[in-house]
Amino acid sequence: MSLIYQLNNIQYIYTTTPVLRIDEYSIEEHSVTALVGANGSGKSTLLNMLAFITEPTAGELIYAGEKMSSAHSTDCRRETAYVQQKPYLFNFSVRQNIELGLKLRGINKRLRRHSSDKIAEKLNLSKLLGRRAHELSGGELQKVAIARALILEPRVLLLDEPFSHLDKNSRIDIENLLKSLTASAAQTIIFSTHDVLQAQSLATQVCSLNQGRIGSSLHVNTFKGDLDVIAGVFKTSRLDIHVPPLFEAGSQLAIDSTQLVLSRERLKSSMRNQFQGRVVGLQELGGEVNISVDAGEIWQAIITHEALNDLQIEIGAEIWLSFKSSAVQVF
Amino acid sequence: MEYLLKSIIVAFQLIFSFDPAVYAVVWTSISISLLAVLIAAGFCIPMSLLVALREFPGKALLLQTLNTLVAMPTVVVGLLLYGLLSRQGPLGELGLLYTPTAMVMGQCVLIIPVIWSLGISACNSADPRLLTTARAMGANPVQQGLLFLNELRFAIMAAIVMGFGRAIGEVGIAMMLGGNIEGFTRTMTTAIALETSKGEFEFALALGALLLLVAFTVNGLLQRFQYLNK
Repeated sequence: MSLIYQLNNIQYIYTTTPVLRIDEYSIEEHSVTALVGANGSGKSTLLNMLAFITEPTAGELIYAGEKMSSAHSTDCRRETAYVQQKPYLFNFSVRQNIELGLKLRGINKRLRRHSSDKIAEKLNLSKLLGRRAHELSGGELQKVAIARALILEPRVLLLDEPFSHLDKNSRIDIENLLKSLTASAAQTIIFSTHDVLQAQSLATQVCSLNQGRIGSSLHVNTFKGDLDVIAGVFKTSRLDIHVPPLFEAGSQLAIDSTQLVLSRERLKSSMRNQFQGRVVGLQELGGEVNISVDAGEIWQAIITHEALNDLQIEIGAEIWLSFKSSAVQVF
Repeated sequence: MEYLLKSIIVAFQLIFSFDPAVYAVVWTSISISLLAVLIAAGFCIPMSLLVALREFPGKALLLQTLNTLVAMPTVVVGLLLYGLLSRQGPLGELGLLYTPTAMVMGQCVLIIPVIWSLGISACNSADPRLLTTARAMGANPVQQGLLFLNELRFAIMAAIVMGFGRAIGEVGIAMMLGGNIEGFTRTMTTAIALETSKGEFEFALALGALLLLVAFTVNGLLQRFQYLNK
């Protein structure tokens, strides 16, 4: 697969404060990348850069094999579509907003009308086409902004926290839409979110940002404790977890929730960490299921609906949770 | 009080008698001010966008100068242009003094700071997401400017109306550069000044009422425009 973005020694300094510093990072074409981090971690700055709205203060941004400069910006922006965290809709009708990108590209009215009808139908916006943008609710506004981006059939779709400020139904609609886009693999999708589990369930690649820097990996199960280097065990207050002999010190252990294997029986496996627990929570998440398991500590795992049915998992069910010691990180 | 009431009645009689002399003066005022506003707006709107959206050395000084010039007395503008256009002045050979062209030039100089300064304020008041959205949608610089203007059309229109109000209501420039020539450069304000000095208070009052009526109509049209575009 070819790379759509390559970031080399990228820095962005706002007034005098460095807000983004990325030594090296690349994104494959047709992949789905989630940028995860807290407020102020640099997610929006990075998305602005990938949308060619903001130029890096230093470093090299390569798009589709070509080094970016301001001279390329307008052409490259026309290959991407960017939905900002709080999208701005112009003081037009919903239809005019959706068609605007096509109009800017000189597409004739008949084709614009055809495309906007099609995308509005797909996103259940047909009834809103005649309304003024300022009459829309938060969820409707977000959908119109996404429709305005999708109508362009962009090579790269960038979404800044598309699930924030939405009610439950709108969130599910947009999660499903993102799922269908992911499945079609027609374009590269990059979105930001606070929600680690959501990122893991929707994305093929998760980029964790912390204070403008990319983390090495993403963790959701994090526990505090002491590392016994000689025994190769990390001791939390309730569990002893086997770790690889790589770590010399550390007071926190973390494991990606996708690395956890769930089973009803103890597995005959080389996995050194196997704990019996009880299911204490189930939550639908972008077409997959987030399961909370109390096995001394509370663990979060993500499985498909199919696996959920196969394992006949329900609240209170006893379950085994297994993972390799090599999947663990101590820091 | 009786004198004032009598004058008002005579003024209304003059307005509704459709006296050609009165309406010639009104037309001269409107046409000169409209032309000045069109020229000034054509210059100020793109410049407002440019100044508001770009950073450059001397920007703060330019803004301070524009804000100062907003309060510039009309007679000072008249005086400066008189110096340029009079027979001994550098542009004297053009023979523009005491012509409507000179009045348009003077009014342009007067209202450019008004429209430009208010235009910059309008652009600065825009939602910061407006420009990034236009850019993200692939708009080229000209398209970005047009989208910006479309979103700020009410504030920009208000700046233009303010400029028109200042132009049509001024007397110093019209008097010094137009010369108050009947049927040629006589405007409502210069006519009011002249008729008052002659003791023709009713005529002056009628012109004053018409001046207010023009301003009222222009503002009404603006309100209607805003209502229709909401």
